[in-house]
Amino acid sequence: MASRRRLLVGLFVVLCAIAPAFAWLPEVTGTGTPATDRWNFGGFPVAWNLNPQTGSNIQGSRSVHDVIAASFATWLAAPNATINVSEGPITTVSSEAASPASVNLICFVCTDADFSKDNTTLAVTITTTTDSAGQNDGHGGTAAFAGELIKADIIFNPSVQFSTDPGGVGEDLQTVATHEIGHFLGLDHSAVVRAVMFPFASDLTTLSYDDVAGISALYPKGTPDYTSGSISGTVQFASGTPVFGAHVFAESTTTSEPLGPNIRKSPIGTLSKPDGSYTISGLPADSYNVTAEPLDGPVSSSDIDGFPSAYGRDTVDTNFTTKRY
Amino acid sequence: MKRLLALTILLLVGLASATTVKPMSIEDLTTAASTVIEGKATESWSAWNPQHTLIYTFTRVRISKTLKGNNDGTILLKQLGGSAGGYTQKVAGVHPLMTGDQAVLFLRPSEARDGTMVIVGLMQGNFHIEREAKSGSVVVNNGVNDVHQSTATGVTEYRGAKLTLKQLEARVRRAMNG
Repeated sequence: MASRRRLLVGLFVVLCAIAPAFAWLPEVTGTGTPATDRWNFGGFPVAWNLNPQTGSNIQGSRSVHDVIAASFATWLAAPNATINVSEGPITTVSSEAASPASVNLICFVCTDADFSKDNTTLAVTITTTTDSAGQNDGHGGTAAFAGELIKADIIFNPSVQFSTDPGGVGEDLQTVATHEIGHFLGLDHSAVVRAVMFPFASDLTTLSYDDVAGISALYPKGTPDYTSGSISGTVQFASGTPVFGAHVFAESTTTSEPLGPNIRKSPIGTLSKPDGSYTISGLPADSYNVTAEPLDGPVSSSDIDGFPSAYGRDTVDTNFTTKRY
Repeated sequence: MKRLLALTILLLVGLASATTVKPMSIEDLTTAASTVIEGKATESWSAWNPQHTLIYTFTRVRISKTLKGNNDGTILLKQLGGSAGGYTQKVAGVHPLMTGDQAVLFLRPSEARDGTMVIVGLMQGNFHIEREAKSGSVVVNNGVNDVHQSTATGVTEYRGAKLTLKQLEARVRRAMNG
């Protein structure tokens, strides 16, 4: 289209030891310089609390407890990440509005949320963060940083048929739970199709490279399981104007599986910041092609919760064509 | 985007197992909504519920056109999530309207029966209206790619394009008459 401007991508490839890096995947809080949402595992114990009560909409041979536990275990086993989340006491809380600060509720019978009347909404995760350090964390202390997660509830729609068995009738509960637990831990949706955090992922109960990159950026392990690197650069129009919110992803050009067979190989992506800069972190040693593409579907700006508004923008730039390097 | 799109289309065979939400067509949204309006957000604020457990964002929307229902004047929209008192609550994919936003909204009364309206399909019934700078077209987008037709067994056709406002209006009218 004549209206499209040519895109220039300046790539400064830096393969180095992993360093704290901002991936585009996390939820963010605040504006201007948004803070990454994450738990402070040194502040208070983080546990999930299951209300095991279910209706007839849950079918299958496994209990919901076993499915939820397996879904958390998937994330806790992510390489290069340290996630201190444990199973807490069973709860009888059966209303989202009655969920206290001390409970991270996993509920199958909460009917008070308006979304439960839509059987197209399978589940939601409601996260609570502090806007600044020093806020009461609801656990007897104060928040150490802005964006500190202090509560997360996962509400499964009681109007939706779920199966606890793979391939059973209804939605696969472990697929939905694994995705929602990603939100519980602070991850936003991903534009990488093969990621668990892709908003329309289908029957995915194992993590992808993109998921691992995101979670390990949030909760880096002191002694990494594998050596990773990052690719940084700038996306800009031919005029020199930076491209905000370009989906930039690195895709391996080899068939190697540096993270083993249990982590699905996928591109690893990020979004460019208002100045056009990006850093794709958590990359295993490999050869990569880098692509910058507009976030104009299937994942769009609206799927990336709060990203544009966190930077004081209404939307991301999409008036350019895909470029591959 | 084409390559990613192609991968997605392959996955759509199994979209009945989609995580979080299953896409609703405009026809589905029209059927599920008691009210479909076009309007502009004139006021927006967030507040904790009385139990101090949930933050809701309330938005007053001035109606410019009613496509379904008998509403006129203004409606008060309620969405889960927002910032209040030094805390922020989020539901991934849900975007509270901000003052000045223009949207086509597929709505029904809140279960709380408090006079507020909620968006059908979590965030799917919220089509942001914008004018494309280059073409001048007025387009709508709910962030969930348009599904032409969905059935109990899955999505039968996928189109990953924005709609113009006129196209959306026409499909709502056809769905109401059909």
